[in-house]
Amino acid sequence: MIEVLVSAAVLASIYGLVAIGISFTWASIGMLNLAQGFIFTAGGYSAWLFAQYAQAWGMEGAALSVGVLTFGMGGAAVAGLLVGAVAFLPLQDRANFRTRSLIATLAISLMGTQLWLIIFGPQNKPLPPVFGQGRLELGNAGVSYQQLGTIIVASFMLVAVILWMRSSRRGLQMRAMMMNPLGAAVVGVSVRTTGMRVLAISGALSGLSSVLLAQVFFVSPTSGTQPLVTGLIISLAGGLGSIPGTVVAAGLIGVAEALTARYLQQSLVPFVLFGIVVLILIFRPRGLGGLLEDVRE
Amino acid sequence: MTAILSMQGVSAGYGPVRVLHDLDIEVIPGERVGLVGLNGHGKTTLLSTIVGLTGWQDGSIIFKGEQIGGRRSHGVGRTTPHIVRKGIALAPQGDAIFPGLSVRENLDSGAYTALTWRSRRKRREKVLDVFPPLTKLLGQSAGTLSGGERRMVSVGRALMSDATLYLVDEPSLGLAPKISVNLVAALCEIDVGEGAMIIAEQNLPLLEGRVDRVLGMHAGELKLDVGEALGDVPPAAGVHL
Repeated sequence: MIEVLVSAAVLASIYGLVAIGISFTWASIGMLNLAQGFIFTAGGYSAWLFAQYAQAWGMEGAALSVGVLTFGMGGAAVAGLLVGAVAFLPLQDRANFRTRSLIATLAISLMGTQLWLIIFGPQNKPLPPVFGQGRLELGNAGVSYQQLGTIIVASFMLVAVILWMRSSRRGLQMRAMMMNPLGAAVVGVSVRTTGMRVLAISGALSGLSSVLLAQVFFVSPTSGTQPLVTGLIISLAGGLGSIPGTVVAAGLIGVAEALTARYLQQSLVPFVLFGIVVLILIFRPRGLGGLLEDVRE
Repeated sequence: MTAILSMQGVSAGYGPVRVLHDLDIEVIPGERVGLVGLNGHGKTTLLSTIVGLTGWQDGSIIFKGEQIGGRRSHGVGRTTPHIVRKGIALAPQGDAIFPGLSVRENLDSGAYTALTWRSRRKRREKVLDVFPPLTKLLGQSAGTLSGGERRMVSVGRALMSDATLYLVDEPSLGLAPKISVNLVAALCEIDVGEGAMIIAEQNLPLLEGRVDRVLGMHAGELKLDVGEALGDVPPAAGVHL
């Protein structure tokens, strides 16, 4: 049972980070970012590139781990800005921005996969273990350092972002824009500048998630697809735009996926997850968080 | 005295609809101007034009010697943040407050620039002096407030900024008569100093004796420009007060 819970928490941490980014982007600029998978993969590849050079120079241990995490987040943040420059800035004040940006990000997502294939080839790229190898024995069950590290780093990052959003001026501006774009404009918050900041932060969270997932799987041209789909499921279930809702939904989806994989079979996971989302949306059309907060519909 | 706001030949509208027709308006420092007229005659559009919130606009708007108008038709609100940062604060119609944020956060959001942000506590105190009822509500979510309280938050947010020109759109709209009297009275007691304030209002008696000048709008044109002596409004001015 402990193993199922740990595995649920790991999944929730990894996909939750992506989901928060999707949710956050939607709430603040009204763009459903389907290129989040591309951004995710960009984080993975920049971490891999860093690891290649750093290891060649003999870097190891904590410095290597910190570097891999930093480059993963940085690379994904840059990719987020790139997506913003292509799909957000030119379209932002046109009619039907939501539909247009949806199509634009879908296009980036599809082209992105091919781009990675051209640049890095189809081989899987492994990342060095960031949290070391080994297990912590807890009675008859055990938790690996990798699982523990994933949960701690993801939770730490999430709490840091939430606290920053709650206490800083920039954070207040972002939350204001999520609640009422007109009100934000009249107090001087620029949708374009703030939107780019949101994309960079969402990207950095995805990049972190990418490095964490690559501790189990590899980085490959399509490694962003699964996190994108699960991230969308979580952010829909959580009520797009609600951070508490997304956190709860990430936990729920993590448990559901871990239970399904353990007691049924892995191939049934998508059916179960989509089933849950459908059920939630039937009874709570605005998702789990819809009643907790007032956000963009 | 040089005008703080000088509008010349300003027209504006939304898509094919032209709402303002060739307006000329001057506002001098220290002045409190009432903008009156019936619903749908362009008061809100006039205030929106100043901060670039209309679909398109044409004509010259000079604010503190700087051109903020011009011929523009790109996205609604795209230039608004840049214009308000020059020192214009708008309390828009419908309040546009942030429902999920607390009253304190709503007020703080008005202190946009890094400089005003640092002095936000002092600024908040000043706003609470103007609207004492907000003191008890600071921690409450703004979405749960009554109409009058929301209006106070919206106007209070505008007062948090470093603005020299305050634009208040229909402070009495949708409020109980007693509440709107108190609100407008509080608004008119604020010392604008070297700045200025324009209050758009449908209910002329509310402004009586409280503003320095009244501008009357009818069908998107300026029909009336009188000083304090509201009693002398010529009936032929074409403004149905």
